[in-house]
Amino acid sequence: MTSRSFLVLSVCLLFLAIAMALYVWQLRSRAQSEATLQRPQLVTPPATGTLRQVTLWVAHDDPGVLRVQAVSIELSTERQRKSQEILRALLAIYTGKGSPHHLAAGADVRNVYFVNPGLVVVDVNSELADGQTSGILPEELTVASFVQTLAANSPEIVRVKFLVNGKERETLAGHVDFSNEYGVPQMSDLARQLSSE
Amino acid sequence: MPWINAASKLLVAASLAVLAGAQATPANTTSPGSPSPQPPEKPLLIMLDPAHGGTDPGARLTASTPEKEITLNIARRLKQELNARGILCQLVRDGDVTLPPDQRAAMSNAADPALYISLHASSLGSGMGIFTALLPDSGDNKGPFLDWDRAQSATLPRSKALQTQLVGAMQRTKFPTHAFSASLRPLNSLRSPAIAIEISPTTGDATQVSATGYQQMICAALANALASIAPSLRGNMGARR
Repeated sequence: MTSRSFLVLSVCLLFLAIAMALYVWQLRSRAQSEATLQRPQLVTPPATGTLRQVTLWVAHDDPGVLRVQAVSIELSTERQRKSQEILRALLAIYTGKGSPHHLAAGADVRNVYFVNPGLVVVDVNSELADGQTSGILPEELTVASFVQTLAANSPEIVRVKFLVNGKERETLAGHVDFSNEYGVPQMSDLARQLSSE
Repeated sequence: MPWINAASKLLVAASLAVLAGAQATPANTTSPGSPSPQPPEKPLLIMLDPAHGGTDPGARLTASTPEKEITLNIARRLKQELNARGILCQLVRDGDVTLPPDQRAAMSNAADPALYISLHASSLGSGMGIFTALLPDSGDNKGPFLDWDRAQSATLPRSKALQTQLVGAMQRTKFPTHAFSASLRPLNSLRSPAIAIEISPTTGDATQVSATGYQQMICAALANALASIAPSLRGNMGARR
């Protein structure tokens, strides 16, 4: 091979290498932006609703109590959506900075179903369950704050059942039973125990 | 496997029915007026159940210590302390083995203790939480056969009474202790008085729970508290006889 043809081949290979590097860089950027879009993010209530005051039962890990807190949020009129928005307001406190009861970022309520009179099914995502601090008291605080918050804002709710990503789960994080239906009266008794400091 | 669970529940329910029948018979055969023979006094037995174990590590309290290790250490120490005070103890597990909640309940129901204690540890909370069962709203008892998920219903008032006494005894030592109820397996399926105890740090530092000195102090205080309510525990045994 002459030195001229060797030079031409080298230049061609160099161009090819640069083109491939640019293509790989472009693929990586696209993959990163898609991953950002797919990451579960807490959705704020829609601005189309009416601003209403709601009651939240907020868990405080230190000293392990529930406290009632009133907040104003935009609410839909449709009751399933409304309950979901109220629970998301609670989650915004738990996943936010200086949270009194830490839950993992990305923890969300996927859906709330009013199944039959009195029974509501709350479908949470796996980020919520997997990021829950393990222990009887921490898990109980999460369950009680959800049930009490739902019942405080929708008095027709008598029982609450939980699903994780649409499926039953035995325990929330290794302790508290997550497959039971929780009766609002019995949880109110528990909330009284958890409210006394 | 579901059929194994169902079979074990059926076996336990059947044994409960047989026990109930056996307990009812002597009362029917005693003629009125004749002095009833004193049954030999049954030794006071407390069943200690270190939660988790084997493939279930429980909570990870520190980088190196899973909850299952801490609960086993506490159970062994508490057993020693109780034995020193003349109270008989049995451990549901005395090694790193996997035991499903139903099997734990079946073992305890067969031993028929005066009190069942499920031991837990947590990084959150302050001091000690003493829990009784939070039972499902409705059950499906059929004659002598108890609904497995509500077997605790008959003894729940006694569990709560013991919980109150135990919390009082612990609070007298100035150790922060709180009473709660929890939907926690296997408490629902126990026919004897049953509580769960969750030990957490008092300093906010999770490593405190794995410290030998802290565990020893709690076990000694708890053993004293249990010894102080021993007459009530004996009363429970009499009530069930």
